[in-house]
Amino acid sequence: MAPRDFDAVVAPHLDAAFNYARWLTRNDADAEDVLQDAAIRALRFLPSLRNDDARAWLLAIVRNTWYGRSAKQVNARRMTTYEETMDERRDDSLGPEALVLQRQTVEQVQSAVESLPLDFREVIVLRELEGLPYKDIAAIVGVPIGTVMSRLSRARERLLAILKPALSAGGGA
Amino acid sequence: MNCHEAARLIDPYVDDELAAVDSASVAEHIEGCARCRQQVADRESLRRLVRSVPYHAAPAGVRTSIATGRRESRMSSRVLAWAAGLAIAVTAAGTIGIRARETAQATTALAGDVVDRHISALASEHVFEVRSSNQHTIKPWFQGKLDVSPPVADLASAGFPLVGGRVDTIGGRRVAALVYQRREHVIDVFVSPVGGRVATSDARSIRGFQERHWVQADLSLWAVSDLNNRELSEFVEAFASATQ
Repeated sequence: MAPRDFDAVVAPHLDAAFNYARWLTRNDADAEDVLQDAAIRALRFLPSLRNDDARAWLLAIVRNTWYGRSAKQVNARRMTTYEETMDERRDDSLGPEALVLQRQTVEQVQSAVESLPLDFREVIVLRELEGLPYKDIAAIVGVPIGTVMSRLSRARERLLAILKPALSAGGGA
Repeated sequence: MNCHEAARLIDPYVDDELAAVDSASVAEHIEGCARCRQQVADRESLRRLVRSVPYHAAPAGVRTSIATGRRESRMSSRVLAWAAGLAIAVTAAGTIGIRARETAQATTALAGDVVDRHISALASEHVFEVRSSNQHTIKPWFQGKLDVSPPVADLASAGFPLVGGRVDTIGGRRVAALVYQRREHVIDVFVSPVGGRVATSDARSIRGFQERHWVQADLSLWAVSDLNNRELSEFVEAFASATQ
């Protein structure tokens, strides 16, 4: 297989690429645009891929694509999300019914992760949802491994602070 | 190691990113320190919580338009080359390319199914239909239930105790599922006869779950777990060498 085949090498990672894009953009429409653009770039860059592990490579392209598109929007969005986070923290009155609790928990977790600043949000997504090693996350985000480690640590502290009630109630489920 | 030193290593510890010697030191510290042990437990609970949120898979529409856009660009750039009298060679290569693509797509679809079944078994607590650590109990249990007799070995000596089995469905086909354990992690091994056009070996990570696929004695095997990559590789090696 001299010329690398997009379908064999890149296509298996489109779900991961979309998931990452979706967590970066926090809406479907932007995530779809980012994925489209990233796929076109990936096709163009395919000959430069050094090995067949295209996942970290594709995710880095997704990230660059998104940054190129909307660097300015990021800061504006970060500001609003801090406020949302503050609101959520006050709401730690959870009802006792297990079912309500479960649905609420998923929603709480989702909005807690979405409320994280980008630097924290993406390392959580790449580590917890994609299960990537630090080395790959460092390559995607473009920072040293030590920075990945400290961002993860701080992101988790923050999530734990927000989700403490959910953790003690339904964390083991 | 004191708590201050341990605190810096807790995240890489739960992420399996420490060298063995450091990992052992942290393990030893948390053994005797309830506070740091709680930190580890909190992070593991947090991981389970975060993984409970819906995963955003690429919508079919976007996949299609990526495929379409690609075909068009490929046509325009390659048509000239094709016209240069290489028609036969290109047709042959094209056929191989299409087969490779079909194989890749079939493998990807199955891999997705394997993860879905693994997650849904864990969520429904329908992990076992037969619960035993004895291979001589598990293996006969599948007789008459399936058209396959799965290779079964207890791998407790390698650190992966056998815990049970069930009948499951992968790609619309009934398969044997063997259940192994390492610490709090469940490893499912799906066994079916080799069939269809699927890659003979495959390793990938989907939604944080690690997967391995291999072919052994006319059987198609998939191992899936939220274990880290390295330990799942160890498991597959142990499984293959104990059952071959």
